[in-house]
Amino acid sequence: MNESLLQGKNVIVQGITGAHGTFHASAMKASGTNVIAGTSPSRVGETIDGIPVYASIRDIQAEHRIDSSVVFVPARFAKGALLEAITAEIPLIVCITEGIPLHDMLVVTNALKEKGRSQLIGPNCPGTLLPGGNKLGIIPAHLSLPGSVGVVSRSGTLTYEAMDGLTRRGIGQKYIIGIGGDRIAGTSFIDYLELFENDPDVDKIVMIGEIGGTGELDAANYIKQHMTKPVYAYITGHHAPTGVQLGHAGAILQSADESAAAKTEYLAENGVFTATSITQLIRMI
Amino acid sequence: MKLLEYEAKKILASGTIPTPSSFVISKDAKPAFLPCVVKSQVPTGGRGKAGGIIIARSTDEFSSANDSLRSLSIKGFLPKTLLAEELLSIKQEFYLSLLIDKSAAQIVLMAHTNGGVEVEENRANEFLQLPLSGSNTDSIGEQLAEYYDLPDKTFVLQDMVENLFSCFVSNDATLLEINPLILTTGGKLVAGDCKMELDDAATFRHPDWQFEESTAEVNFVTLNENGTVATIANGAGLAMATVDAVADADMVPANFLDIGGGANEASVLAAFERIMQYPDVNVIIINIFAGITRCDEVARAIIGAKKQITRLPPLFIRLAGTNFEEAVDLLSAESIPTLRALDDCITAAKESQS
Repeated sequence: MNESLLQGKNVIVQGITGAHGTFHASAMKASGTNVIAGTSPSRVGETIDGIPVYASIRDIQAEHRIDSSVVFVPARFAKGALLEAITAEIPLIVCITEGIPLHDMLVVTNALKEKGRSQLIGPNCPGTLLPGGNKLGIIPAHLSLPGSVGVVSRSGTLTYEAMDGLTRRGIGQKYIIGIGGDRIAGTSFIDYLELFENDPDVDKIVMIGEIGGTGELDAANYIKQHMTKPVYAYITGHHAPTGVQLGHAGAILQSADESAAAKTEYLAENGVFTATSITQLIRMI
Repeated sequence: MKLLEYEAKKILASGTIPTPSSFVISKDAKPAFLPCVVKSQVPTGGRGKAGGIIIARSTDEFSSANDSLRSLSIKGFLPKTLLAEELLSIKQEFYLSLLIDKSAAQIVLMAHTNGGVEVEENRANEFLQLPLSGSNTDSIGEQLAEYYDLPDKTFVLQDMVENLFSCFVSNDATLLEINPLILTTGGKLVAGDCKMELDDAATFRHPDWQFEESTAEVNFVTLNENGTVATIANGAGLAMATVDAVADADMVPANFLDIGGGANEASVLAAFERIMQYPDVNVIIINIFAGITRCDEVARAIIGAKKQITRLPPLFIRLAGTNFEEAVDLLSAESIPTLRALDDCITAAKESQS
């Protein structure tokens, strides 16, 4: 991941006429993001809060260069929307949609690899926010404060919680990133740990993980080998029951080394400052 | 969702993957053929060791198996269905499965020469693991025949791998495990048992999906019947974090509840009603950080619930994010206070309990 990808000026919204697409296209625009167009095959020619609606990405590209697309298309149509964006070689695709079938994501991931021109963030994620700058997704920008902390999180609402907690303590943020809760996702913790380590404007890193999966363990290994900046982490779900899928797709505790306690311990062993609750985490920064 | 054996085998059979002749047994049923193997259909492993599989050679044995299995609880599960299958003459048992390797985003075939009930004792790195796509099923089938040391079954295994792959994809399966894959003394390869998991997210394109168990994601979990703090939050991550924060402050959380993005008055009311079942809850913490959710809708739901449920314990409410100001106005018009942060809710809850 690199910063310029997140700063892309020309942003489109796929699925702009749905309830979430409309609401958040306006919110993105209000927070200063340059939303140039949206797609919705059935409502071509209309405008949403002044944003023109096109039938397809190809039609937009006839008139504009597109840097990034934020996807709100419902799950059953999301594969088609993502493949359209990949075919159009849009450099950054941020997929907010949750509940996309795994087999559809296999097809999408394959297309991403074959085409090799696009970076996907998500799905099932809140997107990215550069406080004071670009917002791609649904993170409530008015609760952020520009500064020097990099935040990366798997959970949407916990991303906001961390950001809000930092802002209330007067600690500003450079990046707020939600990578999404699904097990097949476009980017991982490591993509952003690398970005934060290499960005001289970032001095502290906040990482929020969950039970289930091994992304946090991979991150711990990366941190030990490559990171010099302090990383503060909280893994949610210390009191989660085993074998139950809590809410979204990734949060299921199946084996002991995927538990919050095991991940927390492994992160601590690898030099990360760990907390056992989100409130404790905020106090530590 | 996890399927029961008979449901999974029905899908296998419709994908032309060989399964034993079988019939589902109703209460007081006569056997369609004898001898047969009567198998309890419960959503858990270790069924054989728990006595959930009985061979019936006569009508009497069949009736008594039918009766006893219906009342045999296996790891807490009573079967709703019993399955009877032909008694196979087993020469060898293998292990074969297809699953999704999520980190590599690909379908993987796993095999072991040592199948059957002891398969979990095989080490993970001892399994044959091959990435499977629509275009390599023939070569994978060939490798499998070599690995199982069944050179005369190369064509059979090529067909089987191809059929398993298309069965896996067209049914939106996330796991398809045949264990054991039985080689009969007659030289046939047959699925002895089958475990299958389907992707709940794909339900919209499978109007025919109707299964006994639907273990979809859950949004309400009891953590401690005698907990004193009930929690309501939105988003799985925040809901887990709210529980963690309660426990971290040495209070006892009763439940996990993620009211999700579509929170409305009915769902919030239902949540309060469930919480009121806990005998010892004396505090409710509501922690909403709205992105897709709108705070004002949650506020209206809380106001509605408060009017309908008497004797609610003290509520410590934190609302933030989308339409937060409107929500605070609505609540304060009803004299319901709100707090600014989760930390404040925890502190207030602790004070109210002391």
